[in-house]
Amino acid sequence: MRFMLTLIGPEGGYEDITPEEIKAEMVNWEAFGKEATDAGVFLAGEGLQPVDTAKTVRGGRDEDRIVTDGPFAETKEQIGGFYLLECRDLDEALEWAKRVPIRDGAIEVRPVMDYESMGYEDPREAGATPAGGS
Amino acid sequence: MMYVLALISEEGGMQDASPEEMKAVMDRWDEFTRESVDHGAFIAGEALQPTESASTVRIKQGEEPVVSDGPFAESKEQLGGFYLLECKDLDEALEYAKNIPFQDGWVEVRPVMDFTEMGYQSYSPGPVKAAA
Repeated sequence: MRFMLTLIGPEGGYEDITPEEIKAEMVNWEAFGKEATDAGVFLAGEGLQPVDTAKTVRGGRDEDRIVTDGPFAETKEQIGGFYLLECRDLDEALEWAKRVPIRDGAIEVRPVMDYESMGYEDPREAGATPAGGS
Repeated sequence: MMYVLALISEEGGMQDASPEEMKAVMDRWDEFTRESVDHGAFIAGEALQPTESASTVRIKQGEEPVVSDGPFAESKEQLGGFYLLECKDLDEALEYAKNIPFQDGWVEVRPVMDFTEMGYQSYSPGPVKAAA
């Protein structure tokens, strides 16, 4: 089962960081990435640049889309990164979440939708046709 | 450069959907995903199960992690899914974002951190395949 781990926390705290402190942080993140990869659970995972780099597109299919600068919400806590992990079950996903080396924040853990079990083909499958045929 | 497209919208809305409506919705998402795969942009992307399936782990260095039921925030708008796309630049990422086929919502587009420039290893193994 695939689980999304969304890393949430207050931005900043890195303004006066020294190269040694950066290195110490990165060693933790590299170790987590390596462990997850070696365990065969790592599918994807990235750190996100701060929200001052964000743009938000508002709208939907039948409406005009409007692009604005900034994140969806100007909140103190923002998404700082994510992992997509292949785990046996929620308990295993939670064990991984507990080891994500954030300093102070929260990890929201959610299973992904399994559309194939509902009879839909995954569009990433080579040669997959849309649900119900073309 | 890789960009995360975070899909944010109000939960629900599909409970009373007919099979035809569901299929129409699925076809639209399939088309979007397929296009991004064909253009070599797709790295990862998933829809998330509703927030009632969520657990949240509170972490603070020096303290035991605490697990609780539910999403991080009990808000009306929630993260419903995401895409991780390899794009030329922000403009290309925004074009994808404008084509996200939901009825109504927000797409937050953010570049990812590239630690490899600082000499650190990336573990990204490339495009994530369909579930086995």
